[in-house]
Amino acid sequence: MAKKTGVFICSGCGIGESLDVDALVKVAAKECKAPVCKTNPFFCGAEGVELIKQDIAAGELDCILVVGCSNRVNYNAFDFGPSVTVERVNIREQVAWSHEPNDEDTQAMAEDIIRMFMAKAKTVEAPVPYIVEDLSKTIMVVGGGMAGMTAAIESAKANYQVVLVEKEASLGGWLNKLYKLAPLKTPFTSLEDTNLEARINEINSNPNIKVYTSANIEKTAGGPGLFDVTIKQNGSEISERVGAIVLATGAVPYDPEKLGHLGFGTSPNVITQSMFEEIAKKGTIARPSDGKEVKKIAFIQCAGSRDAERLPYCSAACCVESMKQALYLKEQDSEAQAYVFYKDIRSSGQYEHFYKAAQTAGVIFVKGDVTGVSAGNGGTLVIEADDILMGEKTMADELDLIVLANGMVPTTAFTEGAYVGCGVQVPEPEAGAEAAAAADAPVPAAPIIKSNILNLVYRQGPELPDLKYGFPDSHYICFPYETRRTGIYAAGSVRRPMDMVQAIEDATGAALKAIQCVEMTAQGAAVHPRAGDTSLPDFQLNRCTQCKRCTDECPFGAINEDEKGNPLINPTRCRRCSTCMGACPERIISFKNYSVPMIGNMLKAFEVPEEDEEKPRILIFACENDAIPAIDMAGINRLQYNPWVRIIPVRCLGSLSLVWINDAMSRGVDGVLLLGCKHGDDYQCHFMKGSELAEIRLSKVSETLDRLGLESERVQAKTISIMDYEEIPKMLAEFMEKIEDLGPNPMKGF
Amino acid sequence: MVDNKISSAPVKYDNSFAKEIYALENGHYAQICMQCGMCAVSCATHDIMDYSPRRLFNLVRVGKKEEVMRSNTMWMCTACCMCKVRCPRGIPLVDVMHDLKAMAIKQGYVDYPHAAFHQAFWQEAFSRGRVFEGGIMARFILKRGLGEIKKLLALGMKDMGMGMLKHGRVPLVPPRKIKGLKELQQIIQRAQALQEKEAK
Amino acid sequence: MRYSIYPGCTMEGPALFFLKATEAVAEALGMHLDEIPDWNCCGASEVSGVVGEFTQQVMTARNLAIAEAKGQDVLVACSSCYMNMGLTNKHFKDDPHFAQMANEALAAGGLKYNGTLKVRQIVDILVNDIGLDKIKARVKKPLTGLKVAGYVGCQTVRALPWEYDDPERPVLLDQLIEALGATAVPFPMKARCCGSSHAIAQTEIVLEHSKEILESAASNGASMLVTNCPMCQMNLDAFRGMINQVHKTNLTLPILFFTQLMAIAFDLPPAVAGLKHCVVSPYEVLAPLGVGK
Ligand code: SF4
Ligand code: SF4
Ligand code: SF4
Ligand code: SF4
Repeated sequence: MAKKTGVFICSGCGIGESLDVDALVKVAAKECKAPVCKTNPFFCGAEGVELIKQDIAAGELDCILVVGCSNRVNYNAFDFGPSVTVERVNIREQVAWSHEPNDEDTQAMAEDIIRMFMAKAKTVEAPVPYIVEDLSKTIMVVGGGMAGMTAAIESAKANYQVVLVEKEASLGGWLNKLYKLAPLKTPFTSLEDTNLEARINEINSNPNIKVYTSANIEKTAGGPGLFDVTIKQNGSEISERVGAIVLATGAVPYDPEKLGHLGFGTSPNVITQSMFEEIAKKGTIARPSDGKEVKKIAFIQCAGSRDAERLPYCSAACCVESMKQALYLKEQDSEAQAYVFYKDIRSSGQYEHFYKAAQTAGVIFVKGDVTGVSAGNGGTLVIEADDILMGEKTMADELDLIVLANGMVPTTAFTEGAYVGCGVQVPEPEAGAEAAAAADAPVPAAPIIKSNILNLVYRQGPELPDLKYGFPDSHYICFPYETRRTGIYAAGSVRRPMDMVQAIEDATGAALKAIQCVEMTAQGAAVHPRAGDTSLPDFQLNRCTQCKRCTDECPFGAINEDEKGNPLINPTRCRRCSTCMGACPERIISFKNYSVPMIGNMLKAFEVPEEDEEKPRILIFACENDAIPAIDMAGINRLQYNPWVRIIPVRCLGSLSLVWINDAMSRGVDGVLLLGCKHGDDYQCHFMKGSELAEIRLSKVSETLDRLGLESERVQAKTISIMDYEEIPKMLAEFMEKIEDLGPNPMKGF
Repeated sequence: MVDNKISSAPVKYDNSFAKEIYALENGHYAQICMQCGMCAVSCATHDIMDYSPRRLFNLVRVGKKEEVMRSNTMWMCTACCMCKVRCPRGIPLVDVMHDLKAMAIKQGYVDYPHAAFHQAFWQEAFSRGRVFEGGIMARFILKRGLGEIKKLLALGMKDMGMGMLKHGRVPLVPPRKIKGLKELQQIIQRAQALQEKEAK
Repeated sequence: MRYSIYPGCTMEGPALFFLKATEAVAEALGMHLDEIPDWNCCGASEVSGVVGEFTQQVMTARNLAIAEAKGQDVLVACSSCYMNMGLTNKHFKDDPHFAQMANEALAAGGLKYNGTLKVRQIVDILVNDIGLDKIKARVKKPLTGLKVAGYVGCQTVRALPWEYDDPERPVLLDQLIEALGATAVPFPMKARCCGSSHAIAQTEIVLEHSKEILESAASNGASMLVTNCPMCQMNLDAFRGMINQVHKTNLTLPILFFTQLMAIAFDLPPAVAGLKHCVVSPYEVLAPLGVGK
């Protein structure tokens, strides 16, 4: 427990002009009895920092409140080493910059914030980093295709040991099947050799890379820094300890049997892109039916992709692949005709140049919906389509070959090796999970992909949770590569559909993420988004009822069970989101610097005005990931908002404990607002499910509130992203209006 | 104006006409058009064109020679260059339009008065080295016949001519031919010979 | 500062007064202009539509070849001329094959162009070489209170986009107007096409476009419109009777070349300003500034 708290109130940046700093000192020193309390007009400057350091040395302060700017700025200036807990009390962005200067309400707000943090400081402790013994910094790459080989080489170049596991007998993956590549470098106009041999040689000759081919992963246990992987190769089992994993198992072509409507199966001359590669690789491009050289070819784009009944998504690479393949034919015979029937050409990035090159070579692009594929004369084929640009029907006949650009399906969207369609298989509920469901488990667990790739020994299931359509990414905008299993990063077309250039870039990014992970783990610290956080959840197991809420709700599968059925945390998997803390009905999970009582103390520390003061008090729990930054941004932009709010930052709304709402209500707080990230489809929650969980939990209190004669509308959850900071004043005003309509909390004064 | 309706049978893409166009000086640019339509929304005279430049290029691709050559599109182009500035593919549409005009004149698609005007201008420039409004007008009327004068008069062209005269803006005598006219003509003839050679 | 000047056919015909005003203003600013000797027509927007771009550019290049002897930047005012001269010059610099072919043709007239010149629009020269400060300093009769729509038209700014101004929302002409003490009104049609050379072959286009431009200028409060293009001036000014007749309008906005306006602000002799050549009378609008016939 923190014994000695020093309070350092900064009067710079306009704080002194807006607030009575002496009065703040009184609150800290007199009322809250801080042993040390100082002010300075420029605490983040060298002199100010020195002042704090002197006090730490002299007074053996173990907790520092820096009362001034947001913790999103100047964090290096106020870092005094691991043994000193620093709490940043934001009276700059959240008070001085966003409220009327020298107003009693503004002053009251600042004073309350100091009270709240002084209350928190009473129990806050410096966390002790969890240092792993036998930590491995080896990166394991699963899949030896373009992405996997790139990730291996990039990690090895950064001087990390690499274990590369490939299920086939040789490396190269998809490259083995290709005749040539679409351009990978400027000017992005001409075909390139796959260069496979050189790529494999580069891997084999790198002493940092250990390659297992014809190998499968039997099982992956442990967590970041200490994954114990059992690899099965030629009947024997090998154990490897690795620190982080890059999953680069790629994608497979969409099943053409499902493309009968585009003529697949009607003639051997209707083929897929990969079948065309095989033909081209053999030498002459000829009709499979009779070996006649191809003079006229048509490609049908989006075959299966962008189709609600098949693959709802764009497969991203097939447009460029068709251009490439059309050029194969032009290479063989520049007079041969090539048509591409497309919905939209999506030759993203630099491939616009390639598109132009294909046009220049004479490939004809027809924007149209194919309405039929049929047999013509002499073994030829006919395509009929609605030509969108001409606004009428079009047809192409005497076609020797039709190639269906049949898109890709991630290797993670398979069950026991069999294609199961685009949707993800929700696993059969296991016995344990069923028990949890019976005990009214609040959230359905994220569906776990069944793919027989990593075979994780995790209580939550053997593979990765899916984001959508079987892709195991977690958040494609903010944290690409991250899956919902800490330390496992997806790269290449297993993550989302992509072309080779993107896969190379992706693999490099994922390798970097894996490296960050092993380095952070070595320091006992969390990875993104609480990078550097060394706190960990403590379980007071003697009070655990084995309800398994924490195990189920942990978004990262960090919690297993021990033999007795008690929760068993794998510390290196933990992201410090504290969802488990909010989930536990017994409230036995806490962090050294964040806990249910700690926040409880904070919300008991501010003043609640009496009814006759006619100043409703509103408490806001704001998520540190987006909501707090949004509130800060509002301040930075000098937007003014209601001064009767009190804001408590939380790690994630997933850590919300209902007891806080109870306590707030019984103190006479008139309204409680939860500000978190968007959830559901395209969620923004940095911990996947936090804000959603909070709302589910909230739905449970409403009933109780109503029963107590308290209007449940007094407690509301809203979502906000940092970009919406302009909405903050309006959002608060609307909530305030609502609360004023309801009148004061009837518990006031009880 | 030509009949814009394209026949009702399914269109078949036939590239023989396209090849003819792509062989023009700037014709190859039409090949890289990506049919985005930026030119159409930028064009100063789009609303009176038979086909927008985008559509014209697609007709080239399909092989609709008569529709393209008889369309007014290239003749309506004012060379305002808005499309050229905006085309994401960097196509100098104005120059393609010039090529189409030159091809139309060469192949006898000269129904539009603009064709006559262009020719009149060219003859004036070639034979004097500089152009003189009166000279262009005379040549233009000569080509188009008196009907054209009637049309212009109906719009009030006579008053406009008088106005110009009154404000001292119409030199009645044409300016002298340039001194180096002979050399200029030799240069032009050589250029045309080179141009033809290049096209082959 | 010395420049070669390429006037072009219109500036020795219906827009001769533009040339006169331009020369006088240039002199007042200490510029010296040498007319390119025995220059020929640049081909305007028509010639390449008959004989192709190459021949047209070779024709234009004869002027550059002659001007090269002096080695001075070539000042061009007319928009079509600027486009053709500018593009041809760029072609010479960027495309060695073209340069070689074009010189082969020029050789038939005993000429050669090495691509050493710069082709400059007059607005570019006035703002970027002479400078707005110098122009401001030369103003004797500030045009205070005069609301002017600066009409740039199409080709000058778009021939070589961003060469000296924004191809769609140009600003330099407005800066010049303001430097004379006048107010440049907001004018969304500033860079729209007036119909240009369709005046004869398809007069309706010109009448329609010009009407829209004039109405836009008037509705934005302009009492006068200035331009730097002889074609635009003619379409908006000389065709006014026809515009008003066909569209049943009564548009009275006078159209001046911007160098005429400069001549007024510099207080040069009335003959230099050449106001009497404007078909739509500007005198009423200019009366408050003390400008009379
Ligand atoms: S990349 Fe092209 S062909 Fe493939 S799904 Fe996307 S739009 Fe369709
Ligand atoms: S803090 Fe988050 S990641 Fe860690 S165990 Fe708890 S719920 Fe899981
Ligand atoms: S703007 Fe360019 S690319 Fe787009 S349709 Fe027009 S010509 Fe084609
Ligand atoms: S240059 Fe011609 S085609 Fe292009 S926008 Fe102007 S008028 Fe239209």
